[in-house]
Amino acid sequence: MAFQAPTETYKGVIRATDLGGVAIGGETAFPFHTFEGEMPNDPKLAFEVWDIAPDDWSPELEVILADVWADPVAWAKRAVDEFGAQLIYLRLKSTDPNGAAKASVEAAATAKQVVESVDVPVVVVGSGDVEADVDVMKAVAETLADTPVVIGNAEEDNYRPIGAAAMGYKHGVVAFSPMDVNLAKQLNVLLSQLGVDEGMIVMDPTTGALGYGLEYAYTVFERDRLAALAQNDAKMQMPILATVGQEAWKAKETKVTEEELPGTGDRKTRGLMWESLTAVSLLLAGANVVVLRHPESANLIRQAIASLKGE
Amino acid sequence: MTQRYTLTFQPGDVKVPDVPRGESVLRAAMQANIHINASCGGAGSCGKCRIKLLSGEVDSDRSAKIDDDEWSDGTRLACNTRVSSDVAVFVPEASRMGNAAVLERELRGERKGRLLTPAELESLVTGWTLDPVVKKLCMQLTPPSDGDNLNDLARFRKALKDQFGLSSVSVDSIWIRNMPSVLREQDWLVTATVVDTAYGYKAIDLEPGSHCEQDYSVVLDIGTTTVWGQLLDLTCGATLAQASAYNKQISFGEDVITRIVHSQRPGGREQLQQAIVDTVNEIIDELVESTRVDREQITHMVAAGNTTMTCLLVGIDPKYLRMTPYVPPADFIPPVRAVNLGEGLKVGRHVHVYTFPSVASYVGGDIVSGIVGSGIFETEKITLYIDIGTNGEVVIGNREWLIATSCSAGPAFEGGGVRHGMRATDGAVETVRIDPQTLEPTILTISNRPAIGICGSGIIDAVAELLKVGAISQNGRFNTDLDTWRIRETDGANEYVLVEAEYSGLGEDIVINEADIDNLVRAKAAIFAGIMTLLESVALDWADLEQIYVAGGFGKYLRIEEAQAIGLFPEVDVDSFTFVGNGSLLGARLVSFSKDMLKSAEQVALMMTNVELSDNQLFMDRYMAAMFLPHTDMSYFPAMDQVLSGLAAGGR
Repeated sequence: MAFQAPTETYKGVIRATDLGGVAIGGETAFPFHTFEGEMPNDPKLAFEVWDIAPDDWSPELEVILADVWADPVAWAKRAVDEFGAQLIYLRLKSTDPNGAAKASVEAAATAKQVVESVDVPVVVVGSGDVEADVDVMKAVAETLADTPVVIGNAEEDNYRPIGAAAMGYKHGVVAFSPMDVNLAKQLNVLLSQLGVDEGMIVMDPTTGALGYGLEYAYTVFERDRLAALAQNDAKMQMPILATVGQEAWKAKETKVTEEELPGTGDRKTRGLMWESLTAVSLLLAGANVVVLRHPESANLIRQAIASLKGE
Repeated sequence: MTQRYTLTFQPGDVKVPDVPRGESVLRAAMQANIHINASCGGAGSCGKCRIKLLSGEVDSDRSAKIDDDEWSDGTRLACNTRVSSDVAVFVPEASRMGNAAVLERELRGERKGRLLTPAELESLVTGWTLDPVVKKLCMQLTPPSDGDNLNDLARFRKALKDQFGLSSVSVDSIWIRNMPSVLREQDWLVTATVVDTAYGYKAIDLEPGSHCEQDYSVVLDIGTTTVWGQLLDLTCGATLAQASAYNKQISFGEDVITRIVHSQRPGGREQLQQAIVDTVNEIIDELVESTRVDREQITHMVAAGNTTMTCLLVGIDPKYLRMTPYVPPADFIPPVRAVNLGEGLKVGRHVHVYTFPSVASYVGGDIVSGIVGSGIFETEKITLYIDIGTNGEVVIGNREWLIATSCSAGPAFEGGGVRHGMRATDGAVETVRIDPQTLEPTILTISNRPAIGICGSGIIDAVAELLKVGAISQNGRFNTDLDTWRIRETDGANEYVLVEAEYSGLGEDIVINEADIDNLVRAKAAIFAGIMTLLESVALDWADLEQIYVAGGFGKYLRIEEAQAIGLFPEVDVDSFTFVGNGSLLGARLVSFSKDMLKSAEQVALMMTNVELSDNQLFMDRYMAAMFLPHTDMSYFPAMDQVLSGLAAGGR
């Protein structure tokens, strides 16, 4: 008798979510397990754009971005036109109170320009400062009242005002939680308790890069998806966004030269591998959107997605 | 038997049955979830809880808040009006904050869990007979004569054999010194005290004359914070008196870890031993004074304590208890002579103190004692036993198997680590209700004194109510958008004003703040996660538990519904809960009465499996899941899920 591979069937489904014309989620099994369930939408590749020129990014990113990264509109256009970005992940880094500390309205105006200059959906997040982000996101939500985007990050300590801003102007919201399945769920519960439509929430459960907690991130993503699929937990069925580029290119291994780290091969290959291996691992664990920085690793990831789909 | 009456509230015709004679109208209303304003805790000083008597007999105090006309018209204060017949009262609009719907809140009736009477508590364990390990035997010896020149000791031993069938009884060398004169003092009528040891009977004392009717023991529950003692009559199996005192070791540290640390200082261990000996002597003094029992007639002592307390009482170095792999120095500690502990317990020099065997560093004799005292070791029903204190101890099992663990809950349940927390004594806010529309609280204090703080059950009540009315989110943060002055920010932290300064006994506002709520959430999460971890380790679920015993001094004030609302327990049938009060003392008492129970205690200790949580990943995960109000997994809390969904729909 021919070998019959055992299969799992799940009760739950990941919410199919429309991010301004780009559909994500909707799967009824683990990613690429098309022998066990449906996967109506491919995972999407987003590109990270800042509203201020980064000063500590790897030289490998500088080579390809330095001519545009002082101009977020040009940067976003290049990501869409040349890198094939399906979404733009715009970080309003200029609003960091410990950095440039730009005014919220100014940053929101930049966000509007970026949104108007590209034809893909945009996720707009603040600098990551829990207090400052509240003001920034209120301004963004209001400025972009006519163009729905996804705003963030809503965290446990600022989910009320940011969730309210998203609700008030009908934007989606990124729910950002520390790397723990319970904390992720708790934030989703709090947001929906606040009245945010569960179909408007995208989870960012915190990403760990290769060598910097990837195994842990993988396990947490996987448990998030198990709760959604196997336990049919409605509060865990939101799609997942993973900030892969940010974490991978933070690793020392993507920044230092071969002379400084002998025996590790050339820096560019190292960086691309770091980003693409982290991304593919997390796509397998359940990420619906990976946010990237380098176009060549995006190419590698696209190939991996195609081969995982059996194409 | 206390008489019980029906109390009827108008408008709405809400009937509250089974109100005991002498209960205040305010307390009865709160227990039935009927909101009547009260700010002063029932002290009669705020004058807000006005009601109008419609019919029935009450016993009511005059109050300066009510003038003569009002009084003759039937107006009373609900807090100082006590029922003495079936009574009907009208709650005027002013006492209801203008909320007509108040009296229509669902009456949930008697769903409080079983609170046992002392007699019921003492009959939880059935399979024992009065047969103490230490006995007094009264004997008339034949005096020696020319034809019967047996020596004194051999004569005494022969009498034990002839009259009581006890052969090869060993003797304690101490009392032999005076034996010749003791035997002859009352013409060869003597009373021997004998103890059944692992090596046979041993005579430990000899008194002239007959004293068999005076045979007492002192049993102790040595808590980290509080020590309880009972004086027992071993001749009839009665409890004569009970006393308690704070453990004097507190001045060397509030928890077991700081005590262990102190024991490592030069002379520290001796200081700690003397502190507990002084505490116990105080308790013995109180017990013998209140009963006029001759302390020389105390023959036996039993002490139940956690592993650290037991070590410190006996004088064993507890150093390694707090070091991995957490091995206790001994499971069975032999009985120790009471006068040899520190500078000596104030009892006869023949008295030995029996301690309960320990299972692990953090599962001590107090838990073994609780399992014996509550009868879990002889039931077939799968039982969950929880002793809620600074350490929450959890046991699951029945007569065939027992599994135990200890989780560090912190002092929140005892009022510690809370801005206005206090122990459950006079003036502590113990009951809180919050009106869902106005967010105004009704509070009751212990002994109806002006509030000076909040005790454990009050904190649980307050958090449960704040959650149910949507004043806090499930993460314990205040909703600052609500229309009430009671939620405010002080020094950067949000808080809810439970008692205004003018009604408090402190002269300042009594509040509950977000840090207090965090402490409570951590405490309840530790206990819930400990129970979950134990359940999962034996592949059981809450639904498999046939009965739940809650022990601990705090237990009897706990309202199960509120404990469920905050997620200390899941929403299992309230009737499955039984409060056993001080379980450790119950067990110590049985062991003193019956040597079979002493053997049972040893068996319980041997059959109990300890699950260590300090390095347990499953526990950490369950703990994170429980760090939410009531829990991240709402499938355990269907009723609260509905309440909270209702709030979301209503915009809170």
